[in-house]
Amino acid sequence: MTDQSFDLSRRSFLDRVLAATAGAGVAGAAPWAVAAANAAPTGRAPTTAGDRVRIGVIGTGDRGRALMRNIAKTRNCTVAAVCDVYAPNLAKGREIAGASVPAFTDHRAMLDAGGLDAVVIATPLDLHARHTIDSFDAGLHVWCEKAMARTIADCGAMVTKSKSAGKVLQIGHQRMFHPTYLNALKRVKAGEIGTITQIRASWHRNNSWRRKVPEGADDRHINWRLYRDSSAGLMTELATHQLQVGNWFLDAVPTRVIGSGSICFWKDGREVYDHVALIYEYSGGRKFIYTSLLNNARYGCEEQIQGSKGSIEPELGRIYAEVPPKVLALERMRQDVARGQKRAVPIGGATWFPELPVTTPGESLGWGEYDETMLQFEGFAEAVRAGRPLPGLLAQAYQASVASLLGEQAMDRGQAMTWPADLVTV
Amino acid sequence: MADDPGTERFAAMGTRVELHRFDGRADDALQAARRAIEAVDDALTIHRPSPATAMNEALLAGRAAVLDDDLLFDAVLAAAQGNADTYGLFDIAADTRTGASWAMVTLDAHTRRIAAERPVALDFGGLGKGFALDRAIAVLREAGVASALLTLGESSVAVLGEHPLGGGWPFAIPHPDDPEQELLTLELVDQALSVSATVGAGTRAPERAATTRPHTGTAVTAPLCAVAVEPSGTLAEVMSTALIAADDSAAARLLRGRPTSRFRFDLGPTHRPNPARILAA
Repeated sequence: MTDQSFDLSRRSFLDRVLAATAGAGVAGAAPWAVAAANAAPTGRAPTTAGDRVRIGVIGTGDRGRALMRNIAKTRNCTVAAVCDVYAPNLAKGREIAGASVPAFTDHRAMLDAGGLDAVVIATPLDLHARHTIDSFDAGLHVWCEKAMARTIADCGAMVTKSKSAGKVLQIGHQRMFHPTYLNALKRVKAGEIGTITQIRASWHRNNSWRRKVPEGADDRHINWRLYRDSSAGLMTELATHQLQVGNWFLDAVPTRVIGSGSICFWKDGREVYDHVALIYEYSGGRKFIYTSLLNNARYGCEEQIQGSKGSIEPELGRIYAEVPPKVLALERMRQDVARGQKRAVPIGGATWFPELPVTTPGESLGWGEYDETMLQFEGFAEAVRAGRPLPGLLAQAYQASVASLLGEQAMDRGQAMTWPADLVTV
Repeated sequence: MADDPGTERFAAMGTRVELHRFDGRADDALQAARRAIEAVDDALTIHRPSPATAMNEALLAGRAAVLDDDLLFDAVLAAAQGNADTYGLFDIAADTRTGASWAMVTLDAHTRRIAAERPVALDFGGLGKGFALDRAIAVLREAGVASALLTLGESSVAVLGEHPLGGGWPFAIPHPDDPEQELLTLELVDQALSVSATVGAGTRAPERAATTRPHTGTAVTAPLCAVAVEPSGTLAEVMSTALIAADDSAAARLLRGRPTSRFRFDLGPTHRPNPARILAA
């Protein structure tokens, strides 16, 4: 991509975010996106290297390296150090960051070395809390991958520490910056799909989710997502994103969750469920119905936001009106009229029609061909500079993480779990 | 979320609605007609909070209600007129479980106050569909639309003006249990059509309530189908419902002098539903 086309697509992306958030009620429901898009540096000339927020990346595995590539697209951030305990990943991280960027195998050594404004944490889930709190203790701001932490208590501790340290804590939920999602929110706020009473979400894959373990490496380290010490599996690694969408579009947190989890297909020694099904209840009888599994990918990843007048599928980027099937006799009549033919219309039977799935194509919400993760980092950098977090973002992230971990508890215990009353205030 | 040009399709009043115009113009008349139907739905629905449910809550609690909502008030007036026009056979208060009927309801049109001798709930059902069609037709006529066809479900139809190719709009009414069998054909111009039946797929739809014979307080169980063609959707709904609720002698009274616009078919297994079975006077 040339610099000029990069500038144009970047500007177009920011314009789209701002256009979506200009809708009535949207700014209040997505204040972080407004703040990030407004604060994003504009103009052709990139901010000089010395003005950029200096970021140390803890964890340069697949996800960490993807984040580094997005940081490289920003106008106000730069990777100033990398850290990973696993040498092959650290080497790959250095390839992206450049040989001049200091590299560490111990995150404390990186923090002690100084020269950083903030860290990006992309380590196994059970390490998020420790890495976050250590970074705050080192006087740095923190951007941490979702989910927040392995336990609800650790999620709260991260929030509390952020406040006491006076540092920004931002969690990676890219859908919150995605123009398609923001457009979807705008059309919900405009009343286009009526009252939302249900969101049916899924993340279905057809693979083992197991990584090949290189010689000399430890399976529990490479496949940390499959073991309970380090992950809640599908709930924290996938469902968290969609639970955030659920809370966001239902404008509430759940009151209760029930669920069932099992190791149903991949009986390969993993400890986390490969098949989960949960119902999150919200006030007024509203529901978020969730399934995730690893042996059928037909329905993929989607949130079906269902209102009385329409539905939205943001992953597909479509909005659908509640249009019933056509009356075929009337369709034929229109064709007859177009042909200059007049025939009796067979109509007048009592009304009833089979309630099959509706397959109308709907309407596009607009695609986000630009990577919204870039905007997350530009917003994060501006928050770091201002010393103030993007408004509303951490509350969304905290509640999504709590919801995912509460769902795990409901499945483990086989009982309904009510929303905790003792959460920390964000 | 646009539909085909010249067509507006949506769900309202518990069924599918189609509005078709044929004058090739692209103004927003169909959208205005849609809003008129949705406004009636909002006023008369009993499936979510509405002016109608507020009225019913009062009547069921033994209290009087004042009908502040214009659409609800007009619909109640239309229901009262329909009851009078059909000798009490059309009755939106009829309830086989409680024995309630419109005779127990008092409506003061001047003060808009409605009350009942005992707890009742009014269900606008088919009347609401006809009432909504009339509102939509009025909107289209006001907008200068010359040729249009509107359906609320497949049992409530209204046409505006002549067929786009000239003359009447031809319809063939099928046997409710056998779509291949035709009960009758007819043509409409600036009229509405309503079909009611006690058999067929429509009667098996979820939550479908049986038609009540108000004079006996019992549900009509005979296999019947009634067709009414009237100047308005409201009157067509009133008449097709009354023709089902009527016993043979009452039906004959409603059919008298209307051999080409009101029809009642006995669809029992021993009968063939042909014109000879039409109980016209």
